[in-house]
Amino acid sequence: MLEIKDLHVKVKDKDILKGINLTVHPGELHAIMGRNGSGKSTLANAIAGQDSYEITSGDILFNGTSIVAESPEERALAGIFMSFQYPVIIPGVNNTYFLKAALNAKRKHQGKTELDAVEFLKLIREKLAVVEMDEKYLHRAVNDGFSGGEKKQNEILQMLTLEPALAILDETDSGLDIDALKIVAAGINNYRRDDRAIVIITHYQRILKYLEADYVHVLINGKIAKTGGENLAEQLEDKGYSWLDN
Amino acid sequence: MHYLEKELNELIQFWDEEPEALRALRSDAFKQYKEVGLPNRKWEGWQFTDFSALEKTSYRLASPGDLPPVPETLPTIANCNRILIINGHFQENLSVLSDKVTVQTLQHAYATNPEIFNKTVVNNSNPFHNLNTALMNSGLAIIVENNAVIDNPIHILYYTTGLTEPIMNHPLFLIVAGADSETTIIEHYAGTTNVQYWQNVVTYINLSDNAVLNHTRIQEEDLNGNHIADTAYSLEKDAQLNAFHFASGSSLYRQNIQVNLASSGASSTVNGLCLAKDRQHLDQQIIINHLKENCSSNQLFKYILSDSSAGVFNGRVIVSEGAQKTDAQQTIRNLLLTDKALAHSSPQLEIYADDVKCSHGSTTGQLDKNAIFYMRSRGIDVQTAQLLLISGFAKEVMETITNTNIDTYIDEKLTTWLEHIGVTP
Repeated sequence: MLEIKDLHVKVKDKDILKGINLTVHPGELHAIMGRNGSGKSTLANAIAGQDSYEITSGDILFNGTSIVAESPEERALAGIFMSFQYPVIIPGVNNTYFLKAALNAKRKHQGKTELDAVEFLKLIREKLAVVEMDEKYLHRAVNDGFSGGEKKQNEILQMLTLEPALAILDETDSGLDIDALKIVAAGINNYRRDDRAIVIITHYQRILKYLEADYVHVLINGKIAKTGGENLAEQLEDKGYSWLDN
Repeated sequence: MHYLEKELNELIQFWDEEPEALRALRSDAFKQYKEVGLPNRKWEGWQFTDFSALEKTSYRLASPGDLPPVPETLPTIANCNRILIINGHFQENLSVLSDKVTVQTLQHAYATNPEIFNKTVVNNSNPFHNLNTALMNSGLAIIVENNAVIDNPIHILYYTTGLTEPIMNHPLFLIVAGADSETTIIEHYAGTTNVQYWQNVVTYINLSDNAVLNHTRIQEEDLNGNHIADTAYSLEKDAQLNAFHFASGSSLYRQNIQVNLASSGASSTVNGLCLAKDRQHLDQQIIINHLKENCSSNQLFKYILSDSSAGVFNGRVIVSEGAQKTDAQQTIRNLLLTDKALAHSSPQLEIYADDVKCSHGSTTGQLDKNAIFYMRSRGIDVQTAQLLLISGFAKEVMETITNTNIDTYIDEKLTTWLEHIGVTP
């Protein structure tokens, strides 16, 4: 589904990613771990199409097609979703309106009819229940006045509503208390299916206790330094990252 | 500005039945104007606006000949009683008046209630106000009876159209909201013409004890228009003013707003939304005078500036000695859509009392790139993302319009404006 080939990315003239290779198949859950500044968020943003991240060489293929020249919205419509490390507050834009606009953009792209307000509300109520969010959050501006945990729940709500084929979750578990963490993990498990793939970027092993990761990758200095199974995450928890430095 | 004196003399000759006292008022005001002339950039409070365009063209006062056929389609706001004025001419037969509201021509108002004129027109330091007094040739007095609750808004539509040569109008509106009355008044200026024109408006609004007045001012003149306005409110005891000033029209716009909280317990909310494109120059100055104790004032002004336009906002809140327990807030937010658009804002507080709660702030920014990326990453295209953000910016202030029909009208104006600057879904 996702194939990253020798990807080099610059941010503000600084080389951040220095040759990433990663292949993700449908049904898989990959965890990418690493210290601050190792390039984890850069990788997520490069996949989502943030234009301040300059791809200097290499390629990103999604379902066999290169997406590096595509706009963020084209990538989203094709089925890529990124949960933001820092979800953006959009003053004055109602959360329901935003979600409905996003969903209908996707449905239109897929040649489906757009949902009207009643149909949308029925759908969104089901999804709200999964992430244990109160309906009042629908009536607020996007992420405006949301706590850290509520912002992350809102990201998961968007993912469940938009049903992407590939979800890149950028530190969705950071800053969550244990209850919020469980809710977010339940949302991710609810989303997980054989035809969908998940890449979760995290600092901490604790969310992986609730998710079954197929692969754990360690990113060091812009490269994947080691790949293993869930036990690699446990090793990192015990030993830190320094044993992988060379 | 020789044309002004010539026009004044012709006006005095033409209206030879005018009372002597009114003529004296005109001559005195013109004398005051002549002593200082038009504002220039050295004047405090006027430094960001160039009025020389008003000198480059000779404007003639609108005359009875300047009345084209009434256009078939005029701006309409649902469920209003309309007062229609075309090129300065009150169209009484096309107007729908309300019970409990007296509408008078200025001559009639002067004959029956000259004090109200004297209250507003003497000793004003604003030269445009003095010019208006000298040359006033249109406008109305609108008096809402005590205790009257007027359900449908009174929509004053001042429309300029079908001009053959540059004209000017100096309308004066005198509005009195009676004690314990409740009214919504829309003061609306619009036009379509290929010829330049100049509106120099004075509006004086008095809110009697415990009156509630919603005043919406819509300025959507043709871009061939220049619109100068002096809007003064005076609030008596426990009166409540909810004002909204929307401006998207005219190439040159200058409005002076003054709110006098003249008695205890009065409260005013004066909000506004300005949309500027091309080379429009929209300038507003607002002064809130807290003269007595226990009054509150709120201001929220938003400017959305595109192309090479400029937005100027100069706000002052003055809390007089003795105006204890004043609660005053002032917020100005500018959104610049291009690198060439300019915003000048200065919020100022002058406080001479010690037990008050006052705050002010001003921000200027561009569309949040992160927010745009966030929306695009959810499949929303750039244009729609921009549209949502700009509408979202306007929403905070639009939400303060309590009348749904007025809100709908201004919302449609915003949508059309966004289409004109190329932001469409």
